[in-house]
Amino acid sequence: MSPEVGAPTVAVDAFGADGGFEVIAAGARAAASDGLGVRVFGPPGELSDLGRGIELRPATDSISNDDEPVRAVRSRPDASIVLAARDVAEGRSQALVSAGSTGAAMTAALFALRRLHGVHRPALAVQLPVPSRDRPVLFLDAGANTEARPRHLVQFAYLGAAFAAAVLGIERPRVALLTVGEEQGKGTPLVVEAHDALARAEGIDFAGNVEGRDLPAGAADVIVADGFTGNVALKTMEGTASAFGAAVRDAATSGPRAALGGLLLRPALAGLRARLDPDTTGGAILLGLRGVAVVAHGSSGPNGIANAIRLAARSVRERAIERTAELLERSGATRASLRDADEPNGTGRRDPNA
Amino acid sequence: MSPDMTRDEVMAKVREHLAAELEVDAAEIDEGTRFRDDLDADSLDLYELVMELEDTYGIKVSEEEAARIETVGQAVDFVLQHVPSA
Repeated sequence: MSPEVGAPTVAVDAFGADGGFEVIAAGARAAASDGLGVRVFGPPGELSDLGRGIELRPATDSISNDDEPVRAVRSRPDASIVLAARDVAEGRSQALVSAGSTGAAMTAALFALRRLHGVHRPALAVQLPVPSRDRPVLFLDAGANTEARPRHLVQFAYLGAAFAAAVLGIERPRVALLTVGEEQGKGTPLVVEAHDALARAEGIDFAGNVEGRDLPAGAADVIVADGFTGNVALKTMEGTASAFGAAVRDAATSGPRAALGGLLLRPALAGLRARLDPDTTGGAILLGLRGVAVVAHGSSGPNGIANAIRLAARSVRERAIERTAELLERSGATRASLRDADEPNGTGRRDPNA
Repeated sequence: MSPDMTRDEVMAKVREHLAAELEVDAAEIDEGTRFRDDLDADSLDLYELVMELEDTYGIKVSEEEAARIETVGQAVDFVLQHVPSA
């Protein structure tokens, strides 16, 4: 079908998905069937049958995980991810989706879309499916910045809160810091200083500290960490879930009684599995830019790509960027206001109601 | 160097960019201002300045050249030395 009038158009990098171009094409078709506009950047020879409502933009060069992202993005202007990011920056599309190299996607998006005014560092946010609640936890930074300062974590809290409110529909998201103990004062100097600043912050509902075990428990709506910690935590959870799932499958086939029990549980487990499937949430979103950029998992199937495109489009429709900028400005959480946030006794923050 | 472009004009462009992006007072920026030490700029800020200068003046700055630019004056020098002739 043709895109709906006024529907967002999403630029999709066709390279880099583990499942190849067909996964991207199928995902794009599914998203386009919702009435979204989709522009796919990839090789015409591999993407000849995209279907109605999808525009193919020729791109034959691609940046892989083996390339150094900054150098590659700056020196290869015709690479698919660079063309797709530029498409958004120049207004032909309203959002970017890639399942390719995360570093290349972040760099291309950062350079083309630029940071929001007053944002120190963009952060990569992932939606963690939580078994005990019907909505995911937003977890950031999942790896965009391996080094961070307290004021970066403070801004991540605002970026996450704004996205959770705008796109996840959480009216007043509760934001927590990931560290090694719930009590104030637990953790590295980075976390302790960020905690002090967030405890005084305006325009945000700071819930204090949470520990690693609280992540899959859904202890807060938004959980903030530096990118190094966040990436380690995320990969640990993914690995644990995968190993635990394999162990459950082995146990369920270990004998006739276990197999019978597994058979009885299968419908319930299938529903849980669908809810926890990473494809359901669509991908990670790069927050803090002047445009929408979604990084889908490399292992995404067609449903994951389609949901990444839908997430990008929803972010545009819900004005996630504008609402983030408004929250930062209203709360005095822009770069200038936070300049002295690294100082434990001063954040320079204004009264948001002033 | 373009005959139409003066050092003051390039300096004004650099100052305008830095003041807007780093949210600092333009009056505090002079040729001796150091990006990291005085403006608290990080590598990302420097890349954005470099790209702005590339787009504005049609120059190309390599990774190595960008890494050697430490002050505002050095950025202005680089533009004036590399901008294509009119």
